[in-house]
Amino acid sequence: MVATQLLDREALRRKSAPLLLCERTHTAPEGIAFRSKHLGLYRERTWREYAALVARAARAFAALGLRRGDRVAIMGDACEEWVISDLAAQSLGAIVYGIYPTASASEVEYQMRDGGAVLFIAENQEYLDKLLPLADRLPALNWIVVIDDTATFAYQHPKLRAYRALLAAAGEPDLAWLEEQAARLDADAPAFIVYTSGTTGAPKGALVTHGKHLAAAANIVDHYPTLAQKEHRTVGYLPLCHVLGRDVAVTLPLISRLVPHFGEHAEDLPTTLFETAPTVLFTVPRYLQRFAAQVLLGIRNSGGVKRASAEIAMQFARAHARRRWNGAGGFAERALYRACRAGVFLPLLNKLGFDRLELVVCAGAPLPPQTMALWQMFGINVVEMYGQTETAGGIICGQRGPFPRPGDVGAVPAGWQVKLASDGEVLVKSPDLFESYWNNPDATRAVKNEDGWLRTGDIGEWHAGALRLVDRARDFIVTSGGKTVSPSFVENILRASPYIAEAIVFGHGRKYLAALIEIEADTVADWARSHDVAYTGFTSLAGNPEVAQLIGIEVERANGELSRPEQIKAFRILPKALDPEEEGEPITPTRKVKRHLMYERFKTLVEEMYDDREQQLIAAGAVEIA
Amino acid sequence: MSRSPRASGYFRTSYDQDLALVQTRLERTSLGVFIAALLAFPLIASPFQLDLACQVFLASIGALSLMLLTGYAGQISLGHAGLLAAGAFTVGILFRETNAPFWITLPAAAAVGGLLGIIFGLPSLRLRGLYLAVSTLALHFVVIYLGGEYEARRGFSTGIVVDPPKLGGVSITDARAWYFILLGAAAATLLVCLNLLRARTGRAWRALRTRETVAEALGIGVASYKLLAFVISSAVTAVAGALFAYYRGFVSVEAFSLFLTIQYLAMVIIGGMGSLLGALLGAIFVTLFPYIIEIGLLALPGAQRHASLLFAVNYAAFGLVMILFLMFEPLGLVGMWRRMQNYFLLWPFKHRRAGGSRG
Repeated sequence: MVATQLLDREALRRKSAPLLLCERTHTAPEGIAFRSKHLGLYRERTWREYAALVARAARAFAALGLRRGDRVAIMGDACEEWVISDLAAQSLGAIVYGIYPTASASEVEYQMRDGGAVLFIAENQEYLDKLLPLADRLPALNWIVVIDDTATFAYQHPKLRAYRALLAAAGEPDLAWLEEQAARLDADAPAFIVYTSGTTGAPKGALVTHGKHLAAAANIVDHYPTLAQKEHRTVGYLPLCHVLGRDVAVTLPLISRLVPHFGEHAEDLPTTLFETAPTVLFTVPRYLQRFAAQVLLGIRNSGGVKRASAEIAMQFARAHARRRWNGAGGFAERALYRACRAGVFLPLLNKLGFDRLELVVCAGAPLPPQTMALWQMFGINVVEMYGQTETAGGIICGQRGPFPRPGDVGAVPAGWQVKLASDGEVLVKSPDLFESYWNNPDATRAVKNEDGWLRTGDIGEWHAGALRLVDRARDFIVTSGGKTVSPSFVENILRASPYIAEAIVFGHGRKYLAALIEIEADTVADWARSHDVAYTGFTSLAGNPEVAQLIGIEVERANGELSRPEQIKAFRILPKALDPEEEGEPITPTRKVKRHLMYERFKTLVEEMYDDREQQLIAAGAVEIA
Repeated sequence: MSRSPRASGYFRTSYDQDLALVQTRLERTSLGVFIAALLAFPLIASPFQLDLACQVFLASIGALSLMLLTGYAGQISLGHAGLLAAGAFTVGILFRETNAPFWITLPAAAAVGGLLGIIFGLPSLRLRGLYLAVSTLALHFVVIYLGGEYEARRGFSTGIVVDPPKLGGVSITDARAWYFILLGAAAATLLVCLNLLRARTGRAWRALRTRETVAEALGIGVASYKLLAFVISSAVTAVAGALFAYYRGFVSVEAFSLFLTIQYLAMVIIGGMGSLLGALLGAIFVTLFPYIIEIGLLALPGAQRHASLLFAVNYAAFGLVMILFLMFEPLGLVGMWRRMQNYFLLWPFKHRRAGGSRG
């Protein structure tokens, strides 16, 4: 089993994920590698079964002619077949890349062309439908494999094959053959490509090698030693095409004692969480915000004793969380908090399946401090972690906790170096970074210096030994008054509201800041119902004056936390929900906002916020003259 | 009876776990506490309280069997007292005529009950609702008539005396021993019912009750499952009657009036249709109700003067309670229980779907 001391990164650097899988079949053949839900049951896969599945899939892919250096694209939500196909392709020396399940057709085409995949694996018919119209325009594509073929019986395409049929044709799994394949892999050869989300320009594919990825991901285990010390349940739901999703579902289980659980469908996440009650969760801010909004709303809608006791407990927990950050709080105070936790928060967390969580790691985007504080009040140890696709699955910084104060992204992991450039840009150095951008040497040169420092493009500052992220480089707003404002800081505070899903702040070269706001449909609809506000759908909610009033109150609340130049003076509610699957939508598949496109798309709304005021001023001025 | 667990962290790796009767730690603990309390009760209870408990157990067996027939399979029966009488008279007659031991009389009672179930279940294949109720009423009168005839012909005009059953040469007369026997019998009945209901039989019955045509379209043999409901319910009821005969040591037709049938129907209605827990709660409520009225009445000033009214007040109060339940709590005691349970299960929320838990 994995030792509790630091992982031997030198040894990992010489290995590959398929090799580690083969090793596990010897060291812990009957240990549970993961559980995946199928027809209501969580199938327990031992390491031996896992390796056998990978061996069969690899045989099947080899029979399709997949060779060293070929690219394989996988599109779909996190599921066991994704992971198995990934390791199978890797063991043949092929380079795997995932396509976001929410990617639009043009994005799929771009990544298929850019990556040049010879094999496309679709989780189900939905993703097949996205590819098939393009299939004949992709010269490199030889085969299309569909995993769940229940809905594709009528599909006729010369390149289409069913995953099940391929595996059946591959015959009995041969572990010795898999080991042979894995042993032949060069640890310095590329293992996979991860496409960056592409908030600025087209997505770039970061190429990562076998050994460096393992060694880089090991810094997460070293940073959070509990992952290696005891068995932890987690849920694999983050998209596997993202480097964090890959870490959780593929890599960390191989180098720690994390056991991922895959739900029946991605949209069943709440059920999967409830049923599996994970002890460790890797997540992105969006989920924490969504669940927090539901909890707060649930308390607000509950009546009498329940609501009163929840509110008293929250009041107390707020003070307790603050004291915990300061390391204060006496015995009686802690005992009282424990009573609150047992009486209110644990039953509440149980409904979500969060009651056994020991560690929640949030990464991917900045987490609003209020959201983090809220979960900590409930007794959930939420820590923030900061990594990039370019750091090959490792992290640049991470809060160790337990229960760290929100606002920074913590300390640098052992063996890695982080420094700030003169303009504040975060630079990171480690032997285990990505190789290069796929087909894009210029972009590689732009971020990777000769001396081994990687430019992250994020602006940070040091704060008592911890890194604090300020914003994406050069993403600041300078108002016409000359004030420099970080839009993501302001947006984060706005997003802390349960009614606001997304906020985009504008104001470059303007007199004041204005925001476009996407409402959180679920919570706003719930609010509307309990306040007798009639609505029919998203658009009618978004256009409702009473909803606008509600959002106005939320914006005012946010303004209370902001300094004068940072305050939002005008806002507009987006008339539609942002959907990354739509063509030309100003949002990436990871729901990161493309600021420029956002302006292009909703130009009139933005201009209105400024124009309107101007007109009023003029009108007011005119009255004075008259 | 597959249901999703009530607490997080219980994922299933086999379908058997879907059927498990006890699923969460809280359920296991509370069941343990409840069983311990039942086992400890005789140590602290007075003889009167022990007798009450035994009556509750007997009533539970009868109520559970009626719940299977009426609450789950949806077949109305007014022959319940008749079936109880059939069981009791089987014991009485076999004991008097052949001196048979209990391990013969009890199965014999079940067989007689089952046979009567077939005979009087047959009309249910053609009749529904009120008509079925009236046809089962015939069962009651036939059994009572035959029992009365037997008593009269053999000269037991005041009733048949039954000796306590012997186990290994020792007569069971001790009240505590009876407590455990009847507790065991009630528990066994409950387990049998639970098992029937979480298997194909129970699902077939529920389908029958909901809509016969659809049940038939689903491939359920309507006739056989209806008869099966009558047979099982009647056999269990007859065994309850037999146990009653041994427990009281006395069998007489007077004990099995039509009012007894009404009482059992009250148990399933007040308890809550379509719930085994409801049958148990109903059995407790209806058995203890007269005693509660009595205590209440005696607590009034000048109690002795009202003593003669006790009987009338009892009947009136019983009727009133029935009406109130039908009007204000059609789901019965079990509906109240579920509301209370939900209050705590959903704590601190008011509604379901606060996150992952779905009811």
